[in-house]
Amino acid sequence: MRRRFTALLTVAALTGAMIAGCGSSTSGSASGSPSASESGKSSKTTEYKVAMLLDSSVSDGGWGASCYQAMLKAAKEEGWDNAYTDNVAQSDYATVITDYCDQGYNLIFAPGNQYQDAVVQVAADYSKIDFCILNGTAEKDNVTSVLPDAHQIGYMAGALAGLMSKTNSIGFIGGMELDTTKQKLECYTKAAQKVNPSITVQSAYAGSFNDAAKGKEIAGSMVSTYNVDVMFGDASAVDAGARETLGSLSGCYDIGQPGDLGSADDKLIICSVVTDNAALVEQCMKDVESGSYGNKTIRGDLSNGCLSVGTFSSAVPKDVQDKYMEYISQIKSGTFIQ
Amino acid sequence: MDAVWNISFLQELLLSTIRMATPILLVAIAELYSERAGMVNIGLDGLMAIGALVGFLVGYNTMNPFLGLLAGAAAGVAINMIFAFFTVSLCAEQIVYGMATNILAPALASFIYRLSFSDTSVLIKGVAQDAAAIPGLSQIPFFGKLLFNHPPLVYFAYILVILTGIFFSRTRPGLNFKAVGEFPRAAETMGIRVINVKYIACIICGALAGLGGAYLTICYTNTYSEGIVAGRGFIALSAVIFGRWVSGGVMMACLLFGFCDALQIRLQLIFPNTPYQLLQMIPYVCTLLALIFFGIRKNGPKANGQPYFREER
Repeated sequence: MRRRFTALLTVAALTGAMIAGCGSSTSGSASGSPSASESGKSSKTTEYKVAMLLDSSVSDGGWGASCYQAMLKAAKEEGWDNAYTDNVAQSDYATVITDYCDQGYNLIFAPGNQYQDAVVQVAADYSKIDFCILNGTAEKDNVTSVLPDAHQIGYMAGALAGLMSKTNSIGFIGGMELDTTKQKLECYTKAAQKVNPSITVQSAYAGSFNDAAKGKEIAGSMVSTYNVDVMFGDASAVDAGARETLGSLSGCYDIGQPGDLGSADDKLIICSVVTDNAALVEQCMKDVESGSYGNKTIRGDLSNGCLSVGTFSSAVPKDVQDKYMEYISQIKSGTFIQ
Repeated sequence: MDAVWNISFLQELLLSTIRMATPILLVAIAELYSERAGMVNIGLDGLMAIGALVGFLVGYNTMNPFLGLLAGAAAGVAINMIFAFFTVSLCAEQIVYGMATNILAPALASFIYRLSFSDTSVLIKGVAQDAAAIPGLSQIPFFGKLLFNHPPLVYFAYILVILTGIFFSRTRPGLNFKAVGEFPRAAETMGIRVINVKYIACIICGALAGLGGAYLTICYTNTYSEGIVAGRGFIALSAVIFGRWVSGGVMMACLLFGFCDALQIRLQLIFPNTPYQLLQMIPYVCTLLALIFFGIRKNGPKANGQPYFREER
């Protein structure tokens, strides 16, 4: 009997500890971190706070990481306090957003189309709080969508892949079949074939953004079966796995995104298509401060500096770089592909 | 289609099969030892996650892949001891504690990862274990590259399958081990220390599952990202049932799963207009079909999943 009681007690204790400890990890910077507010504009009378949620991790080396860094950078620039919750399951989106609303956050940053339904649902109940959806399409009184141009991202990567491929065979790895991923793939194909009409594009989906091993296998199968030599990916950590395969082979290149992943002496990453989400988030914060928030979509493209070309590797010859920059200016002016 | 019907395509497909099956196989053998002693441990995903992280961290800091693998195994054991204490000593419900491991261990892994690298936006590269080609044998055309040019852990996994098979069917300790999973009370009266055997099963299970996780971050790729386990623990769990609780069967189940997964990637490339979700179902559909085909006549260990109250009559 006593043993059963001990067991029950420990079960209760452990369950309690678990609920407290690992529902999901929330950053502590919200609970009074003076350094965050001091580094910003101290003249502000009201303390503004931004919170974000993520279904992946802030340290995934891809989409999640870049969105988190974007929020951090924007919050620092504007002197806002910030917090995040990552690894949120789909069924918990609305709960996490509501929690932040109840805690008095001024802006909720939801970096992805997948959060849209939850955001719109919660936003209807909290008219004083503003919401920002990255890659979203919703426009409400307190909801602004921020939309980096997926077409231009696809064109930028495709043009470079088309210029650099020697085997006339290039690859694309997607995580999930999101709208933006499909647009990127479509435009990637169009741009590459415009630059080099004999290009064929191989594409595959990993069904995950985290399974690096899967990325490695996909890249390997593309190279061995179709002799792919330039790869572009839209799948965070899966891309990192793909790069491992490509890096072990000579003459294979990768195009990075969304951060500037390459460097001049990088043998693998020839260039990156850089998306500066921070500028867009910052724009949202300015709108919140000035009270002009909502009912609009802020678009990010080459012309407003949200998209840009990253660092070229020395593997890209000077004349190819010049030619590529020519295409970029065409993409910017909208004359590249009508 | 020309790219498909040739020998190198087949070779790449089978190579890919072996690479993809190995982590699942290690973990499935782990579960086999556990279930043979009557312990259903569904916390394999969690054990793999902690093994993957600790293996990666130690490998990263020491630049020694063997130390990394050892550390991954040790971490798996450490976490599985929580499960062992509660289910063996306190006779608590095994499914609940397996699930608890699945929640606790991955969260612990991401916590430690962030403590170690803060929230950096680039993936840190750790150490990678190179393939160790077996001299002579690896020169055999076609089969040499397929079977004898892998990281040492791959050979270890397949040798383990043979050893496990011999252990359970040909040796006295192996039969004693099985008796604990079949009818622990009878085993106890025959002088077998049931509690000890159960603890040993948990140690083996933790070590192999941790090793399977470390394989992902040391032998397969050299980076760690949250979610890298991607449900492989649960696939291993089904492979044990599918493989009828014998090591050879478990191996075949893992290879079938690896083959289907390797095939679906290639089918995505060959048939780009087919919805990829359909192709990604192939490994799971195959598992279902195979289960229907083979039937579930032979059941697992009789006392599987039941707590053993030593002093109860």
